[in-house]
Amino acid sequence: MGELVLSNRASAATHTETSDEVTQYLTFAVSDERLAMSIDAVKEIIETPAVTRVPMTPDYIRGVINLRGSVVPVIDLGARLGRGPIILTKRSCIVLVEVHVGDEAHVLGMLVDEVKNILEIAAEDIKPPPEFGSEIRTDFIEAMGRVDDVFVIILSVDHVLSMQELAALRRLSQETASGGSDGES
Amino acid sequence: MSLDSARQAFLAEVAELLQSMEDALLALEDDPEDAESLNAVFRAMHTIKGTGGVFGYDSIVDFTHTVETLMDRVRSGQVPLTRPLIATLFECRDHTARLVDTIVAASTPDEPLDPELARAGEALLARLGHSGGAGVSPESASGSAADANAASPSASDTKYLPVVSDLWMITLRFKRDTFRDGIDPLSFLRYLGSLGELVHVTTQLDPEALREDGFDAESCYLEFGLGFRGEVDKPTIAGVFEFADQDCEIRILEPDTAQSKYLDLLAAVPDDQVGWIGDLLLRIGALTQGELDRALETQAAESSDVGEGESETRKRRVGEILVEQGSIKPAVVEQAARTQEAARTRRQEEAHFIRVDAQRLGHLIDLIGELVTSSAAIRVLVKRAGVEDMNEVIDGVEYLVSEIRDNALQLRMVPIGDSLSRFKRVVRDTCRELGKEIELVITGGETELDKTVVEKMIDPLTHLIRNAVDHGIETPEVRRSRGKPAQGRVHINAYHDSGHIVVEIADDGAGLDAERIRAKAEAAGLVKPDDVLTREETLRLIFAPGLSTKEQATNLSGRGVGMDVVRRNIEALRGTVELDSRLGEGTQVTIVLPLTLAIIDGFLVGAGADQYVIPLSQVAECVEMGAASGVKRHGEHYINLRGEVLPFIRLTELFENADPERRAGRRESLVVVRFGHHKMGLVVDTLLGELQTVIKPLGKVFERLRGVAGATILGTGDIALILDVAELAAIAEGQRAVAGRRLAGA
Repeated sequence: MGELVLSNRASAATHTETSDEVTQYLTFAVSDERLAMSIDAVKEIIETPAVTRVPMTPDYIRGVINLRGSVVPVIDLGARLGRGPIILTKRSCIVLVEVHVGDEAHVLGMLVDEVKNILEIAAEDIKPPPEFGSEIRTDFIEAMGRVDDVFVIILSVDHVLSMQELAALRRLSQETASGGSDGES
Repeated sequence: MSLDSARQAFLAEVAELLQSMEDALLALEDDPEDAESLNAVFRAMHTIKGTGGVFGYDSIVDFTHTVETLMDRVRSGQVPLTRPLIATLFECRDHTARLVDTIVAASTPDEPLDPELARAGEALLARLGHSGGAGVSPESASGSAADANAASPSASDTKYLPVVSDLWMITLRFKRDTFRDGIDPLSFLRYLGSLGELVHVTTQLDPEALREDGFDAESCYLEFGLGFRGEVDKPTIAGVFEFADQDCEIRILEPDTAQSKYLDLLAAVPDDQVGWIGDLLLRIGALTQGELDRALETQAAESSDVGEGESETRKRRVGEILVEQGSIKPAVVEQAARTQEAARTRRQEEAHFIRVDAQRLGHLIDLIGELVTSSAAIRVLVKRAGVEDMNEVIDGVEYLVSEIRDNALQLRMVPIGDSLSRFKRVVRDTCRELGKEIELVITGGETELDKTVVEKMIDPLTHLIRNAVDHGIETPEVRRSRGKPAQGRVHINAYHDSGHIVVEIADDGAGLDAERIRAKAEAAGLVKPDDVLTREETLRLIFAPGLSTKEQATNLSGRGVGMDVVRRNIEALRGTVELDSRLGEGTQVTIVLPLTLAIIDGFLVGAGADQYVIPLSQVAECVEMGAASGVKRHGEHYINLRGEVLPFIRLTELFENADPERRAGRRESLVVVRFGHHKMGLVVDTLLGELQTVIKPLGKVFERLRGVAGATILGTGDIALILDVAELAAIAEGQRAVAGRRLAGA
């Protein structure tokens, strides 16, 4: 990974000269589409280990992995974005992201088809998301970033990995909330 | 816990609650309908009120009670939640924070409130529309309780100290129910009089009788002090009062009062003050300094007569010399020697205990958890490498690791009774406030469980006991009219059951009215009028948020907040809570909790492509599953197990993870599990054997996932999920109910 970062820094250096405010983004591919997210939230990127399926969860919850002794949930970004579950290949990776809920930090994994590189995009090249015309849920899109005259979707980590939404576990759990005792769900 | 640390805990709790109240209010600004946030505001006020009440901070209780009442009306839709109202609630939150800071910082709880603060509070309450406020004013109740405290000094204990030495001094304090139990105090005095001479009799009235509204004509408030002279021994006199044993506190002092006083005093000397026998006797006043000095001189003189080497053994004891001198009676010296001896052994016993920081212990247990996982990994590697010679060593290591694990967990085990005894105070204070008579009985206090579990179950238990005292047990008048003893009874019972601890809280109070719960639930929209529910299901509705059958809220608890919190707290500990109640007879709540949160013995099974752990304590047996032995009817599976009808779940069906590559004809296995009083079968593909399981939490994403209690990392590095058997059964039942309804509808 180190090499990748260095080479991209060099190529992006031209952007740095033209603008003061530059943010780094990690780009990756899901179903042949190039997506980006702010690098701030990314903790590390790992090869896909064995993922243990968790029963009775929606398909965008791929399962859990053993990350050096702790159990970390993995979100299938393909399924989450409505592109269908990711098919594991040699290139598929898990991007580990830290999500904050209140004071607690939770580590989540995002399964993607391929990690591309790290880009620097100047603030002037960040445009608001389109109001319609995107296949991805609009609240998942934080902004559009222009890279070499092509727009890349910058994902909103807070919404894609919204703890509240993930923890709702809609599918089986609702059906099984028997007896009406689970009124708050 | 010292008062200061208790106050610190209160401050921390308040800060946390107010923070959650603020968050909830912020959420409500965006969405005034958000029920969860409404509940959060309500709960914050409710809990601060409750804890404030325990400390006797009346002004906090008054203020929060009003806000809570308002929130309850908002919640039920009687008062609309407008933006100005939310703004006022924010101010109320800030006022509560100021109030708590000021009052807790004050040296005494009754210190008068800063007038400016009081005015600010009143102004806020006025803006909340306090004039129309509902609820009982807490002042009257708590005020009279305080008076009662002041008015019942224990002066009577010291009043009848013996003065004349040749008289037996007898103190009798009759209990309230003496007359009701058909006992006549006078008859005892008459009988005693026939044995000798009653020199004098003083009669004393319990101050409580003089309290306004406190006097009950049927209760006994009498206390007697008797001076008796007669040729009898102590057992004879005690025999006179044998029949009054249950209804009376009896103290009999022997005529030789001076001697018995010394003996009593000697027995009461604290261990750390027990020094030389002479000093001991001097301190309690049995000996004068002069007498002691004389004895010590004698001792010194005697020992100088004998040789240097023998001095230790030949030295006469000071006690002996004192008796010889006639300074003191032998009985007193004997008692002094016993006290000295007892203190020595006790000090030795104390030295056997070491106080350890709980955090260090927690760290140790975490490390042992890792050790368990590592030793399992070694086992896997050795097996893979095929080194036969190492098996024996590995067996040894695994045995040791499991011993270390059990011992380490044992370190954190504490008897539950230590934490339960605090409820006695809660019940006592509550009784005074509500004018009830309640006896709290605790059994099974020696049952041990993990300290971390104990700490987390105290809050839900407090809720349940308050509920029992407040809503369950009736007032003495009502109880009598229903033919029950005036004194109510709350019974806490704890015991171990197959790897779990069971805590039962039972009261003999009014019980729950299933029809009223049903009506309430319908009104709240929790059930539809045409739903058919069993009695158990109806009672279980009490655990739904915002449901309460008590019409009038009280100062202590009320409005059904609590039961849903109780359920959530218990479920967060991987436990279950059940409730049974008979109208007019009482209520019993049963809590079942795992003994520890860290490490359990597990049984590993394979189903489909995945592996699962079943807690070994719940596994009853494993049998091979014949191809044709299962029967399926209306979506329910049953098997005939040695003549017993056993429902079962096929894991691959429930989890929808059947392995397509698995050969169809392969035998499956049936794992019979038990939970509570139920039994169930789990059909799995393979049995993989026992293992030590370090429980890893699954995290927030899965907090609402049912049927899975956690995860564990296997020796291979793979993850296996730990199944929650009771929840799986509930899920299967739920699916059956859905299937059943579909059938009925078709």
